[in-house]
Amino acid sequence: MKQIKRAFRMHRIFVAQELKRMMEYKGDFIIGIIGFLFVQASNLLFLTLIFSNIPSLMGWDYTQVVFIYGFSLIPKGIDHLFFDNLWSIGHFTVRKGDFDKYLTRPINTLFHVMVEKLQIDALGEFLMGVALVCVTLPKLQVEWSVLRVVLILAVIPFATLIYTGIKIATAAIAFWTKKSGDITYMFYMVNDFAKYPVGIYNRAIQTIITYIIPFAFTAFYPAYFFLTGENPLFNIGMTVVISVVLMSIGILIWNRGIKAYESAGA
Amino acid sequence: MIHVDNLRKEFKKVNKEPGLKGSFKALFKPNYEIVTAVDGISFDVPKGEILGFIGPNGAGKSTVIKMLTGILTPTSGQCIINEQNPTQNRKKYVKEIGVVFGQRTQLWWDLPLRETYAVLKEIYEVEESEYKKRMEFLNEVLELDDFITSPVRTLSLGQRMRADIAASMLHNPKVLFLDEPTIGLDVVVKDNIRKAIEKINAEEQTTVILTTHDLADIELLSKRIVMIDKGNKVFDGKIADLKSKYGQMRELVFILENIKDLEKLEYKSHFKFKDDDLSVTNDGISVKVRFNNSVAPVADMLSYTLSKISVKDISVKDADIEEIIRRLYKQEVDLND
Repeated sequence: MKQIKRAFRMHRIFVAQELKRMMEYKGDFIIGIIGFLFVQASNLLFLTLIFSNIPSLMGWDYTQVVFIYGFSLIPKGIDHLFFDNLWSIGHFTVRKGDFDKYLTRPINTLFHVMVEKLQIDALGEFLMGVALVCVTLPKLQVEWSVLRVVLILAVIPFATLIYTGIKIATAAIAFWTKKSGDITYMFYMVNDFAKYPVGIYNRAIQTIITYIIPFAFTAFYPAYFFLTGENPLFNIGMTVVISVVLMSIGILIWNRGIKAYESAGA
Repeated sequence: MIHVDNLRKEFKKVNKEPGLKGSFKALFKPNYEIVTAVDGISFDVPKGEILGFIGPNGAGKSTVIKMLTGILTPTSGQCIINEQNPTQNRKKYVKEIGVVFGQRTQLWWDLPLRETYAVLKEIYEVEESEYKKRMEFLNEVLELDDFITSPVRTLSLGQRMRADIAASMLHNPKVLFLDEPTIGLDVVVKDNIRKAIEKINAEEQTTVILTTHDLADIELLSKRIVMIDKGNKVFDGKIADLKSKYGQMRELVFILENIKDLEKLEYKSHFKFKDDDLSVTNDGISVKVRFNNSVAPVADMLSYTLSKISVKDISVKDADIEEIIRRLYKQEVDLND
């Protein structure tokens, strides 16, 4: 309990530190957010263009697709906002020996790395997600129930940790290979498929994003449950299971990796 | 306080042939080689000592320091510092040590310096009252006040080093590891930093392990040195011993009018020097003769030299610590004597 309290306190302090840092470079901060909003707006435009030609996509109408798309941005945005620093591990922190710093401090290395940076640009992504969900909600023909609302909200942290877990596991490979940023990138890019209904893809891609790199559980399956109320055990339950499993694998690889860490000549 | 026992570290290295082709080959058919960076080193450091840890580039100094600080896991052997093993219960261990790598910084680059201390206070769980006392002490020793409100990126190298040392001392560690704390600094700043280290050591009984290439650091700060080379310990003892043992070497430097005259000088047979006692080098103009003063006194060497040849300029130098170390690094001295 004391440890959890301390973790939250440390997190708050690191976030405050990051906010102060952003104040030092205001221009960069504002342009970053605007950039992300532009990217999201262009994606949305693309969706609108498609649906202006076809009324529905494999049985999904425009509103539903936008809802799924919007929902997918929420866990992705949260992970991106808080845990983006994991990218730097695979790209240069290990390779240049800068990981030394974390090992000489009396806090968990993984925790330290995860909370050290705040990727404020991701706020654009997250806000766009929330906006799309809010705009599409009234137009969706959903049977409202407390269970659906509670489950869809409760599943967000788990969906977020699917991203985080994959990033931890792939970043930790760098402890052996010195550089793994491109591996993380490769895995991460698969998440683009997760923003749309799984049914529109061929079997191979469906299998990949459901069972191999299970990004479909970060967005489509939970959203599908919310829209239809079908099979919560699979759509929500599996998200939780996969999330816990991926985080465990990530932490395991990380802890073994630290022992293999070789630093770099000064 | 520090007990290092037969510490060993091996790295696996991929041997690559040169060029892109070689890189491709290594990718598909890697040829591994085990490189031993530290080959069974043992030493002890009592509480409150400043130990100079020296050795040429690539000797394995940093690897040892990184094992002692818990950054690297030893291949075999162990170190016990402050009754703890750095790789077991790392979080508890690092609370009692401070580490400064002169080539790196642990400060928050974009923020005013004092923000770094505020966060480190939290990381190390330093009590508010204790923190105030520490800051006061560090301020006095390292004179941080002039730049504590400036963003770290704007600090000069000397200021940054002082700030980094303060950052490593904030939690009042029992052992302080300083890896090249004076690298790249000017004479005055070096002096200030040495004084600060001395003061910290004197007032707090902090045990200090200091690696450096500047032997003045060692001479001024530590009484004892451990020297390693190629992963092995080659010397462990007092600097005074090193000097009295190898300090009999003198250096005679002269400029010849005619370089061919050099052949006329037969020091070795005349004074019956052993191989280790004499070395003669020349660069075509000036000649350097290093010799053992206990075999042939300086006066004899001078009169012999001047009787044989005519010189333009001549001087005799003491072998200072730097000279001894230089010879040790080049392995001109047999340490097992």
